[in-house]
Order: sequence, then structure tokens, then C-alpha cells
Amino acid sequence: MNENVNENVNDCDVIVVGGGPAGSCAAIVAARAGLSVVLLERGPFPGSKNMYGGVVYPRILDELIPNWWEEAPIQRWVTRRSTMLLTDTQALTVDFRTEAWGKAPYNGATAYRPDFDHWLASHAEAAGAQLLTSTTVTGLLRDDKGVVVGVTTDRPDGDLRARVVIACDGVNSFLAKQAGLYTHTDVKHFTLGVKETLALPKEVIDERFGVRGREGVDIEIIGCTGGVNGGGFVYTNLDTVAVGVVLKIAKLAGQALRPEQIIATLKAHPAIAPLIEGGEVKEYSAHVIPEAGLAMMPKMISDGMLVAGDAAALCLAAGIWLEGVNFAMASGMYAGEAAVEAVRAGDVSAQGLRGYQRRLSDTFVLQDHRKLRRAPELVLSDRVQHLYPQMVANVVERMFRIDNPQPKPGLRRILKQERKRAGIRRRDLIRDGLTGFRSYG
Amino acid sequence: MSSANRTTEVVVCLKWVFQADEPSDARFAGMSPADHAALELALQWATHIGGQVTAITVGPAQADAVLREALACGATRAVRIDTANGVSSADVASAIASVARHAAWVWCGDYSIDNGSGSVPGYLAAALQASQALGVLGVTFESGSIVATRRVDGGRREVLDVQAPAVISVEGATARLRRASLTAMRAAASAPIEVVAPSIVMRTSEHIAHTYRPRARALASPTGAEALDRVRSLTAAGTSSAAHEVETLEPADAAARIVQTLREWGYL
Ligand SMILES: Cc1cc2nc3c(=O)[nH]c(=O)nc-3n(C[C@H](O)[C@H](O)[C@H](O)COP(=O)(O)OP(=O)(O)OC[C@H]3O[C@@H](n4cnc5c(N)ncnc54)[C@H](O)[C@@H]3O)c2cc1C
Repeated sequence: MNENVNENVNDCDVIVVGGGPAGSCAAIVAARAGLSVVLLERGPFPGSKNMYGGVVYPRILDELIPNWWEEAPIQRWVTRRSTMLLTDTQALTVDFRTEAWGKAPYNGATAYRPDFDHWLASHAEAAGAQLLTSTTVTGLLRDDKGVVVGVTTDRPDGDLRARVVIACDGVNSFLAKQAGLYTHTDVKHFTLGVKETLALPKEVIDERFGVRGREGVDIEIIGCTGGVNGGGFVYTNLDTVAVGVVLKIAKLAGQALRPEQIIATLKAHPAIAPLIEGGEVKEYSAHVIPEAGLAMMPKMISDGMLVAGDAAALCLAAGIWLEGVNFAMASGMYAGEAAVEAVRAGDVSAQGLRGYQRRLSDTFVLQDHRKLRRAPELVLSDRVQHLYPQMVANVVERMFRIDNPQPKPGLRRILKQERKRAGIRRRDLIRDGLTGFRSYG
Repeated sequence: MSSANRTTEVVVCLKWVFQADEPSDARFAGMSPADHAALELALQWATHIGGQVTAITVGPAQADAVLREALACGATRAVRIDTANGVSSADVASAIASVARHAAWVWCGDYSIDNGSGSVPGYLAAALQASQALGVLGVTFESGSIVATRRVDGGRREVLDVQAPAVISVEGATARLRRASLTAMRAAASAPIEVVAPSIVMRTSEHIAHTYRPRARALASPTGAEALDRVRSLTAAGTSSAAHEVETLEPADAAARIVQTLREWGYL
């Protein structure tokens, strides 16, 4: 850290670190308000190295980019959404489809991140932000009072000063850590996402997934991640299918399994194999996810600095929901607004920047996290992961099995028997049911 | 460029190209490794002789990207000759020559990664009436001249003493491009780029996007009782290897004779 920082010299008003969804939205807002903004990205272009499962929920862009759906580089509109419970040999699927999600203003869409992030960053540039790529931020510049006044980069002559630094550098943000905003980090709070992208002709995907044109499918899966707690997903792009798993890192480390073996098992499952058969692996990628929500969130404001997106652990990972991009875009946008407010008022201290906290609290960003605060733990618990899928699948299998000349058994009896067979205590079942109801209800 | 300081005028020619596996995606487009090396050496040489570097590209507006990179690294002037991509090498060279006619030192990459044939530097040397050092592997800077090592057939090397005016084309491994400073990068983003219309009507190149194959030759049906004999006579298998003739001729006649023979053999 440079001790001799001249507080009067600013190279720009706002530095945004990271050209992901959070960073680009922050830059769009600040640049449109007339501030001078520099957006720093380590990759050769925004999104070049970014990965995720594959579904974005861009409604938050309604304000920033009206009619975004006419120009966003999307693959398919999700009109069919399934939740699957898998055991080794069984599958129970709740399958929903609606025409409404295939029309403006749409709902979710599959998109490739190198396309989506690049597109979003081009709006930041159009708004007047200066995008500097292949430039990695290596640290914070602070004045003698500890106020953040800029960043250092890996370029010669690479210090850059600004009134506000917005850290959007993704999960495990070392800028937030350097600023002392994370009080503790715990490996329990992270999952590892791994994904294979499989190439298949569009017509084959349309036929296997029962969709047409730009319609797409989102399948979220519980069970079938070996002994490792986590979940799986299958998403359709135009001519590729993404298959992946999200795994609890602490559990994974304790098992002799490698993530690619777990994907292989999922791909071989009788409910998944026919969907992806013959697909040629185009890409294998992996990335860490901040999974624990509220339990792991850092302080997001300090003097001269804001933290947004995955850098602030704002990703919502609650089983049937895996949303990070919309939380990143929203928090980036609010950080941009708060920075504008503070710069205009001439007070960029934590106090001057507090509008950020208010915006997060007043909107879905923190409200969803609060409501779902127990969900990540519940979904990743051993019971939900290993016992309930088996119990539920067995119950359904018995309900629909015709054992004539035996009469049909009552549901209550089957439930009781299967609960006992799976070794689940009634107390736990009721407690988990209540937690689930409070979270999702 | 004024002719007064002709001996210190340094030009680097840069081409904006697509990556082979992303043939139309501008996100992945940029300079070839050889152009990176040429830019670095041009900058080093300009420092050595107390000159300045002008970066020139021939291409569409998107090609400004390579000029901005050159400006960020230390070039002081940038000129884009406005054309579509895919113009013939000879025309690219004459267009560059019309802008760089006073240059003492012109650096180029030896060939671009988009099926480049490495012919622009040769044409350029002819158009500028400059000496040429093409396909250079390494350079040593002397005072006012450059010792260039170039690759020749059979793994041999040729060492040239290069005097101005000269065109030097270098391989990608000759030098590693410096990293632009943050300040220079920011300044380059809004630095002016001179856009000029080409001095001549530009023709598109005949693009050879596949490996060269001689055209088919019509042959009479082979004779022979056995299929194997017919195959042998068709392929000339088992007979003595390729025809060869030894003749002693003046260079011009020798060239004409070679061309004629290649034609007869069906290679042209
Ligand atoms: C397997 C997997 C599946 C997922 N599925 C989904 C899904 O289906 N839907 C969904 O909405 N979300 C999903 N997510 C979560 C989502 O990817 C993230 O929440 C989201 O990308 C966060 O955006 P961000 O802008 O905060 O960070 P990022 O997207 O991580 O962007 C950070 C940017 O900062 C740059 N950067 C980092 N450090 C530096 C530095 N020092 N200097 C300069 N630049 C730097 C990076 O290159 C990157 O461009 C998934 C994640 C994973 C791993």
C-alpha cells in the first residue's frame, strides 16, 4: 500500500473492479450520471473467462436497458422448468411450463457469459465508462487514515486514484478482504460448481426436451451427487446442453471422488442419459460459489469503497434457486447509485456511502436473502440430500405400483413405513418441513 | 513525415486479424504474434536511434484496435488506411508505401496468422525501393544499422547488415511486446487516429484458405492385363522417382524454364 497518496489528485471519480454483471451495472449507472468511470477487467474482454450454470433473470435490467430482450445475447428463453429428485435408480420430477415466459418481458434465459457480460460491458462503455482489459487489480491504495483512494494494477505506472472504488471482483474478493470487510471466511460457506457443455444439434435438443424455436428448459436436481452434498442442473442452450453439479467443498475434500466423476454419474443416470446421449464435450469449467448467503456476507461499505455481487457473497444459492447474476446486477446498480450520491454530496466516507445499504435492504437483494437465510443449510443438509429423496421416491413408487391382488395401501401408511425405512425421525421431518415452509412458503 | 529526419523515421505495419478458431468474432481479433514482435523491435529501435514510431494498418474501423495498442505501447502516430479486410498483398503494400514513403525503417511481422503468405513486406520493399530483410529471427542494433539473422533453407542462417531505407520482417519469437502502462493505455483510448483513403483502387486477394494442391491432370486410361499393372502405370510406382533434368542457363532463362516445366507437370 502506498503511504504517500496525494488526496487531491483523482484520475477519475469511480473505479469499478471487475467486468462481470455487478461491475458493468455499477459502471453503467455511475457513467450515466456523468461521473468519470474506469472499469478494470483482468480478462482480454469482459466475460472471457467467466462461467456459471446458465440461466439469467434479467428483469432487473428493465430500468437500465429498456427492452433489453430485444438486444441481449440470449440462447433460449426458459419456458419449462423442472425440479428433479433423483436416487440411483429413481426420478421424481415436478415439471412446469408456461407460454408466458416465452414472451416479453420474459423470465429466465440461458445465455453464455462471454456473450452476456461482453454485451453488458458494452453498455457501460456506451455510457462513457472507460473499459481497460487485460488489467488485473493487485491491491488497494489508501491514504494515511486508511481511506480507500484507489487501486494498484499489474501494469507499469499502474496506480489509479478515484473517489470511490467499487469492488466487483467476484467470489473470494481479495479487495474486500484487503479492506478488512470479511471478518471470517469458512470453507463451509463455499460450494464448487463444475459444468460440462455438450454439443448437440438444435433439432435433437428441441425433440428431447420437448421445446421449439427459442424455448428452453431448466432442470434443477437434488440427489445423485454421490456422497457429496450438493445439487445438479441441466440447461439447454441453442445447440449445446449444460450439465453440472454444485458440490459442498468441505464434503468433497473428504471423499475420494473427483467432481468430473460426479458429473459422469449424473450423466449416466437413467433420467438424464437419454437427454444428453451423443453430446460431444465442448468445454469443462469450474468455479467457486459463495453459497451461505447471509451467514457469510461481509461488511459492504467502508470509507471510499463499496463491495457488490459475488464479492459481497450476494449470490442466492438455495436449492431450487441458483441466482447470482441478477443479484450481482442489482447490487452493482445500487452501488453505482450510492457512489453517485456520495460523490455529488462530496462525502465518500462510509457514512456518505450508506445509501447502498439502504437500497440493498429495501429490495429483493437482502429481502430474499433474509427470507431464505436457512434454505442453503437445509438444502445441503444430510437429510435433504441423502434420506428424503429416497423416501419420497419410494413413497411415489409404491403409490403408483399396482400390486393386485393386494388392495391399494393408504398414503399415510406408506409414508410412515418409508420414513422408518429411511431412518428419518418424525421430529426431524417436521422441523425440516417447517424450515422449508418458512423459507419457501 | 518530413524528409529532413528521414534516417530516424520508423514505421511499423500491423494487421488486425481474426483468430483461426473464431473466424468472425471481433472479441478475439487482434495482432498476430509476429506483429507484436515487430512493434516491440520498432519501439526499441526508435529509442536506439532517437526516432519515433508511426503505426500503420490497412483495414476497417475495427482495426483501430491494433493502432491503439501500438499507441499505448509507445508509438506516437497512428494511421489507418481505410479498406475492408482481405485486400491483395500487392495493393496493401502500395497503400502503405504511399503513407510511409519517407520512412527509413519499416518493421513488419513476417506473416499474419490469417493465412498470411508473408508477401506484404517484400512488395513493400519493392514499392519503397528499400532493401529487405525478411523472415528475421534475431537482430542486433548497431549505431545506424541493424545486423539481422534470417532463416534460410536447410536449417541454415543468413546474417545481413541492414542499412536504411529497409523493410525488416520478423518472426513472432524475436521479441516479446512490452506491457503498456496504465496511463498510456488510458491516453491511447482517445488518441487521434489518422484515417486515410487508399491511394489506389484496392483489389481483393485470391484467398487460398486450403493447402496448395496441383490441379488435376487428364491421363489416358492405363493399359495392362492385371489391375495391379494398371495401378502401377497410373501411379508410376516402382519406376524411377520424379523426373529431373539438369540444364545450365542464364538466371532469366532458368526462371522461365522452371515455370514452363512446372506448368507441364501440372503444378501451375
Ligand atoms: C457452476 C455455477 C453455476 C451458476 N449458475 C448460475 C445460474 O444459473 N444463474 C445465476 O444467476 N447465477 C449462477 N451462478 C452464480 C453467478 O455466476 C455469479 O453469482 C455471478 O457471476 C456474480 O457476478 P459478479 O459480477 O459479482 O462476479 P463475476 O461474474 O465473478 O465477475 C467478476 C469479474 O471480475 C474480474 N476480476 C476478478 N478479480 C479481478 C481483479 N483483481 N482485477 C480485475 N478484474 C478482476 C473477473 O475476471 C470477472 O470478470 C453460478 C455460478 C457457478 C459457479
